[in-house]
Amino acid sequence: MKKEEALTAYLLENQASFYRLAYSYLDNREDALDAVQSAACAALEKLGSLKNQDAMRTWFYRILIHTCIDQLRRRKRVTLVPPEALDEGSYDDPSPDDSLAKQVNALPPEIQTVVKLRYYEEWSLQEIADTTGWNLSTVKTRLYGGLKKLRISLEGEYAT
Amino acid sequence: MTRIEDAKKEYETMEIPEELSGRVLSGIAEGRRRVRRRHALRRTLGSVAACLAVLTAGLNLFPTFAEAAADVPVLGRVCEVLTVRSWQRSEEGESIRVTQPAVSGSDEFARRINAEIQKRVEAKSAEGDRMVQEYKEAFLSTGGTEEEWAQRDNTVRVSYDVKAQTESTVSFVVSLEVSTSVGYQEDDYYNLDVAADKELTLRDLLGDDWVNLCNTSIKRQMADSEDPSVYFDSTMGGFESVDETTNFYINASGNPVVVFPRATVAIGAMGQVEFEITK
Repeated sequence: MKKEEALTAYLLENQASFYRLAYSYLDNREDALDAVQSAACAALEKLGSLKNQDAMRTWFYRILIHTCIDQLRRRKRVTLVPPEALDEGSYDDPSPDDSLAKQVNALPPEIQTVVKLRYYEEWSLQEIADTTGWNLSTVKTRLYGGLKKLRISLEGEYAT
Repeated sequence: MTRIEDAKKEYETMEIPEELSGRVLSGIAEGRRRVRRRHALRRTLGSVAACLAVLTAGLNLFPTFAEAAADVPVLGRVCEVLTVRSWQRSEEGESIRVTQPAVSGSDEFARRINAEIQKRVEAKSAEGDRMVQEYKEAFLSTGGTEEEWAQRDNTVRVSYDVKAQTESTVSFVVSLEVSTSVGYQEDDYYNLDVAADKELTLRDLLGDDWVNLCNTSIKRQMADSEDPSVYFDSTMGGFESVDETTNFYINASGNPVVVFPRATVAIGAMGQVEFEITK
């Protein structure tokens, strides 16, 4: 039971971070709430697969990210576009004038994950590798690929 | 301030909906419920298995027998039950042991019976294997690991037991046993009159009044037992009457012994329940 209590406490404590990450994937309030709720449910269900409580953070984010990506996939299959979303300009790529946050959100999901966990959540590259299941060099490639797209160099600021 | 710090700030000031904590709490509650439901499911697997056994208990009939018996001349021959095939397979977490019997003889009757036995032995080992795989899935999805699984010994055993044999008749049982978290057993009974080339029924052994004879005897034995309360009464779905699908074998005295699978007429702790019907 101890493990369950630790998980419950962790989930309640960090819910805002979960929501932000889910929102940045799904770009929709309701979907983000759904994703956090399903991820919490799945975490309780899969608690047995968590061997080491110290790894709870990377373990839970893995579940959360999978949930978000699943929802994105489902969305691709059934696209419900509200008429107001069809306004002119809604399909435009983010312009260099957009805020950096918007440009980050326009990156492909895998790259977004790395950039956000690294710079917003301030995770180490190793933690990102543990969460995503990608090896360290893949994580690095994706991070630097992302930075290149954003046309910024951050090496000096948050070097590993 | 650098651009990325701006982006981080924008990210962190994102508005958090009020209902978020409610949603997290319902997610947690739903997750807990699902885990509990799954544990409950595991516990009831035993009784599900018992129901399955009841469903399959009627396998004793060979529909093709009447025709076969009509064509084959009556031969006085001694019949034997032999092991024709025995194999086992072990892999991580699971072992299967199969001993397949056959009746001796090369005539049509023996051939038909042996084909029937072979079919059932194969179906049984496949079913046992399926049950173990299902259990493995449940084991892994409830937190077990592959390594823990590999250390287990889930055994599927198909074996036979000769109950009685005379010059003209043979009675034997082919059993499937699956031991995982729940024990599971399913038996097929073969009662053969080799001289007449037919499968024996309770009517053949007890006469036209066989249903009454059996029911009276069974009810008396239940009432006379050390603790009659272990038997379910009819309101609990307990014993009501024997019929053509009731399993039995023939014992050494030549009497039929009626068999009820575990938890069908008595509490599960009694296991399989048997009643000898004296002629």
